[in-house]
Amino acid sequence: MKFLIAEDELDLQQSIVTYLERDANVCEVASNYNEALQKVELYDYDVIILDINLVTGSGLDVLRAIKKSKHTAGVIIISANNSLDNKLEGLDLGADDYLTKPFHLAELNSRVKAILRRGKFGGDETIEFNEIKIDTKSRTAYINDIAINLTRKEYDLLLFFITNQDRVLSKEIIAEHLWGDDSDLVDNFDFIYVHINNLRKKMSKESAKYIKTAYGSGYKFQNN
Amino acid sequence: MIASTIALYFYTKQLLQNEVEEELFSTEARIENSLKSNTQPFSLPPVIEVVEISDLKEEFLKDTLIYDPSQSEDEVFRELSTFKKINNKYYRITVRNLVVESKDILIAIVVSYFIIILLAFIFLYYLNSEGNRKLWAPFFKNLEVMKGFSIKSNRPIKMLDSDILEFRELNNEILMLTKKVRDDYQNLKQFTEDLSHEMQTPLAIMQAKIENIINEKKLSEDQYLQFSSLQKDILRLKQLNKRLTLLTKIENNQFINIDKIDLTKIINKTVENFKELFDADIHFSEAKKVFVLMDPYLAEVLCNNLISNAVKHSEESKPVNITCTKECLIIKNAGNTAIAMPENLFHRFYRESNSNHSTGLGLAIVKKICELYDFDISYKFQDNNHMFTILFKSTKI
Repeated sequence: MKFLIAEDELDLQQSIVTYLERDANVCEVASNYNEALQKVELYDYDVIILDINLVTGSGLDVLRAIKKSKHTAGVIIISANNSLDNKLEGLDLGADDYLTKPFHLAELNSRVKAILRRGKFGGDETIEFNEIKIDTKSRTAYINDIAINLTRKEYDLLLFFITNQDRVLSKEIIAEHLWGDDSDLVDNFDFIYVHINNLRKKMSKESAKYIKTAYGSGYKFQNN
Repeated sequence: MIASTIALYFYTKQLLQNEVEEELFSTEARIENSLKSNTQPFSLPPVIEVVEISDLKEEFLKDTLIYDPSQSEDEVFRELSTFKKINNKYYRITVRNLVVESKDILIAIVVSYFIIILLAFIFLYYLNSEGNRKLWAPFFKNLEVMKGFSIKSNRPIKMLDSDILEFRELNNEILMLTKKVRDDYQNLKQFTEDLSHEMQTPLAIMQAKIENIINEKKLSEDQYLQFSSLQKDILRLKQLNKRLTLLTKIENNQFINIDKIDLTKIINKTVENFKELFDADIHFSEAKKVFVLMDPYLAEVLCNNLISNAVKHSEESKPVNITCTKECLIIKNAGNTAIAMPENLFHRFYRESNSNHSTGLGLAIVKKICELYDFDISYKFQDNNHMFTILFKSTKI
């Protein structure tokens, strides 16, 4: 996959590149408004990650240019501004998703994958991993073509794991993904264990043991 | 005034008496003359009396009371009695004249004084109030302008100019003061916005770098725990930031979007979410729809904050009870002891204990939302239950 990361904060830009390139993706970068505008006009990308506040101009203008050029790329807006107006404007202009800084790279990654799924398979949105198959449209998971009975949160968890395979996911990242940051329950992440254990049990029953513990308190979805 | 009345009284009295006496002397002189020219003495009692006597005495002046039949009352007369030898005969000539009574003089003076003062008063009052009205008109106009002054307004306050130096100075001071207040407010608002905005990017960088380190380097378990704890602190900052921004936005009246919200639907959604995530025991069964007028996002925040607060502080395995009617929303959770200082409960950063690291803003936000929509929120500790009650008032449909 080919991504463009238009972000003027070089540290953040490089971190995103590092994370996304682990899946053998190609990442190009743009560090200011003009560079971003130039690149979207010249090249094709699968997903464009676009910062709204580019030093020399607005990311929303870049988005307008993308949509004008009939680009098929998916667009994720990342912004330090969490105002609703900004979000709605971005989505109205045709962005596929909107993330407010600060975000977890795992969260960004799973959103990128979601956009790719929707774009690539034109509605037939399935993910396969060895014997596991996930139908994202009906929100069901199959192991060896047998549907397993998952709660909504367990399903979300499984999807999050598979889209971020081979990466260590701390309970903070998982909690935020499942819960969002609207809750004030910062100190109490114990609920994560319950959900992960339940998911593990249900998968182990079909002898799919991919959820590993990493560093004692983190998790990693990994092929054996 | 009284002194002048007294003086005027005596002066007038004196003047009148002199006049009367002069007249008496002149009448007496005329009678004497007529007697000298051999006219028969005549009398006109009580005004004139001429009597022949045997011997001369000293002349005297005195006041005397004589009954006046025409007015049927005693009247004061001034009496002059002289003794004269005319054509070898002794005569006593008595002339009397009616004098104005002291009482009448006094009344006349007082009445005229009263009328003068009254007229002067009315005239001065009219003059003064008319003058004052003209003089103070710009002041009152500016007072009205100041009453309508809003700290949030972007335009400077418009004052009426005045010719009066003091008013002009006052106007200038007020203009300067309001400008400063507005500037400070704008700066503060800008500062809050900038701060929360500018903090996001560094936080994003920190978070991203931690994630990459965890994934790329071989770490010890202890190092991982440190990074994990850093992630938690970043999350805390993030939430703090988000909530402070929300509070500022509510205070700045930036939520102008008002919809008819079905509160039971939102509560059901929130409860379901809590049950799913935490296996929390929450009792809520309200089939009827309860509509309130408020911003949909704030309605969600309100329910979420109240319910999460109840879940967080509920005694282990005891249920949280939620009741929602047209009039009020009640959320109860079990607890052992009442809040030590319930009056501080809705203050920012108030915590009963340091055991949980919540942002301390959840209930402050609830309170602000309630204030925004004129809901009445109260806390009670009853039968080992913490109880929050929100009374819907004006926005109830």
